[in-house]
Amino acid sequence: MRKFRGAAALILVAGLLAGAAPAPAASLASAAADQKAFQDNFRSRFPAVPFADFANGPYSVNAPMRKQWEEIMQFPPYDFALDEGKTEFAKPFANGKTYADCFPNGGIGIRQDFPYFDGKTGEVVTLDLAINRCRQANGEKPLKYQTGMMASLTAYMAETSRGKPFDIKIPDDPRALAAYEAGKKYFYTRRGQLNFACASCHVGAAGQRMRGDILAPALGILAAFPIYRSDWGSMGTIDRRFTSCSAQMRSTPLPPQDPAYRNLEYFLSYMSNGVPISGPGTRP
Amino acid sequence: MKALAIAALLAALPLAAHAADKTEAETALAAAVKAEDAAGQVGNRWVPAEAALKAAKAALAAGAWDKAVAEAAVAQAMANRAVEQSHEQETAWRDAVVR
Repeated sequence: MRKFRGAAALILVAGLLAGAAPAPAASLASAAADQKAFQDNFRSRFPAVPFADFANGPYSVNAPMRKQWEEIMQFPPYDFALDEGKTEFAKPFANGKTYADCFPNGGIGIRQDFPYFDGKTGEVVTLDLAINRCRQANGEKPLKYQTGMMASLTAYMAETSRGKPFDIKIPDDPRALAAYEAGKKYFYTRRGQLNFACASCHVGAAGQRMRGDILAPALGILAAFPIYRSDWGSMGTIDRRFTSCSAQMRSTPLPPQDPAYRNLEYFLSYMSNGVPISGPGTRP
Repeated sequence: MKALAIAALLAALPLAAHAADKTEAETALAAAVKAEDAAGQVGNRWVPAEAALKAAKAALAAGAWDKAVAEAAVAQAMANRAVEQSHEQETAWRDAVVR
């Protein structure tokens, strides 16, 4: 009887602990399950959209808008940035080295592998961050993150990856899984005066109108970056989009390349594995 | 006519708003700053809260005590709501995950 009591007490304590414990941490299996559920959600909601076409954001889910886009693409507004980025990419730094020396495959056709988790530093590294680290390692000043030459350089590098599917990996490293989980939490967390989450617009309301805009599905949403946005009248990077989305929610934007934004990019890109890179792109 | 005007003035007196002084404005601003710092601690500052805080500081500097108190109250209320929102979302975000 005493033994039984002891066992019962143990079970009770274990039960209480289980109830009080935080939600289970992410695992590689749960991340893969997240990805499947995420992609299945968009596939089932937009059955007429070929999977690869999610790279085209709102144009994938709205026919009139797509027609306008196809006409715009006869003279893509990002072409100037593309040319500028190509020239800058090839231009040697003061020490004679170039961007190509910093990246695998000379920086050509690698956009689909970014962001990645760096096991040495324990952080998510985006293409934009890698570009600035390359510059600094070669004695150059870092570029501003949201527009200008950073957008031009990433436009060129994205263009060399067009058609290559996102191939984001989560290594079996608790820090990588924590970064993924932090990005996931950021994506689904409501914030700001309007009480919106990223998911409010880009999951629940994807394909619907928000005033004059058609909301892009979250699946493949980063595939076209950097973008020329008519609303901006210029090119913008992922940082520009994240900060402007934050401000639209009346949430004070984080600094560009804040770890929270990098984790968000990691999560979104991983969710989009298989969607081809289509950048640089245009958006209304 | 003169008596009527005086009567109207007297009638209005109890309705006149209490005018804030510098001490009240500084106290209100300090409370708003504290609340906004708490919102920052949970990583959830709101744009209009920061705008109201900025306006309160400007009003204080300009000696507009009433305006400083009013703007500080707005900033404090929004910052408090931001903190509540963060606490709610600490677990509520999981309900939104696509499954």
